[in-house]
Amino acid sequence: MLLVLSEEHKEHLSFLPRVDSAVVGEFGRIALEFLRRGSSPKIYEGAARKLCVPVETVQRGVEGLMYLMTESSKHMISKVDFLDSVLVLGFGEELNQILLQLYLQHHSEIRSILSQLPSNLPGYHNLEWRLDVQLASRAIRQQVVPVLTMRLLLTGGGDGTGELSRRVLQTDPGTLLHLISTLEGALAAIKTNHARRIFRNIK
Amino acid sequence: MRFRFCGDLDCPDWVLAEISTLAKISSVKMKLLCAQVLKDLLGEGIDYDKVAKLTADAKFESGDIKASVAVLSFIFSSAAKHDVDSESLSSELQQLGLPKEHTTGLCKSYEDKHSVLQGKLRETSLRLGRLEGVSWRVDYTLSSSELREVNEPLIQLKLQTQGAESGSTETTVVSVSADKFRVLLAELKQAQTRMNALQ
Repeated sequence: MLLVLSEEHKEHLSFLPRVDSAVVGEFGRIALEFLRRGSSPKIYEGAARKLCVPVETVQRGVEGLMYLMTESSKHMISKVDFLDSVLVLGFGEELNQILLQLYLQHHSEIRSILSQLPSNLPGYHNLEWRLDVQLASRAIRQQVVPVLTMRLLLTGGGDGTGELSRRVLQTDPGTLLHLISTLEGALAAIKTNHARRIFRNIK
Repeated sequence: MRFRFCGDLDCPDWVLAEISTLAKISSVKMKLLCAQVLKDLLGEGIDYDKVAKLTADAKFESGDIKASVAVLSFIFSSAAKHDVDSESLSSELQQLGLPKEHTTGLCKSYEDKHSVLQGKLRETSLRLGRLEGVSWRVDYTLSSSELREVNEPLIQLKLQTQGAESGSTETTVVSVSADKFRVLLAELKQAQTRMNALQ
């Protein structure tokens, strides 16, 4: 499929042919660092001073390049489609090749960064448990009450940071058996014909 | 195939795969590697440089080094968890394909550190709201804004616990009158008698 670039995007990228190829390579590196770690205005100011252009032009050029890379990686477009999309911008052959090389080298890394973005559900990290027997309490002696205490550790979740959140749970053996049978039922659902048919059709 | 050291379950596939990686280093180096892994499990930290030197002869890549440390950690902690004696561990590991000299070295290290390892695992078992410290103070109230002559003893208790959900230290300060404190003490002594009866 072909990428359709907006007019504003094309205008931002029109800065690129005005500089030479070494600088374009440098911009590519800055764009990728932006994806990995975020940008800093000092880098743009330094580049703008060296090229004698205003800071916004440099910033828009780098961001336009980064957007081009992420859109191409997102749709996993082939070499030919990428070249055709870039042709629309009317750049020279050399610049097209540089952009293509940049895309090919980094598209898998960009895809892995993009895949980490939507993480809003808590995920399982660890489950610690202990089995206790309550023998007596202040109110009543000579008891035998088995209790399972669990601490569930979850990653991410609400706050979205790498922090682990903890939940403390307690259950009696009857509920525990029910829990186990429900989860085993869920696992068994993967082996049904319906699920197998869907798995076969997803590559 | 059920293995006792895996808790009477099948051995995980990755353990089977990495046992063949372990077989590539010599049995002497294997024993030293076991010592390092045991140090790590007992919380003394692992010296990765030493591990890298031990595996350098067999030309392990970083992935192989991590895998061998992981499989040894799994074998030791799982065997200690299910309280497997070293002869059973030895025969089960040989069934999985670990050569005899490596198995003997591994089981000797396991046997030496068996009880220490179980003690460490017992310590790290789940405990909620662990009591970390108690401090107390006895005051004598002379008078207050409500009554001119109060003349009563009062106990201030500071309990430092590890929060059940948060895991960080929480401080609770309570002030207890003499009568209430006597009740508290009596109940705690009864609980202590029960605990001693169990030991």
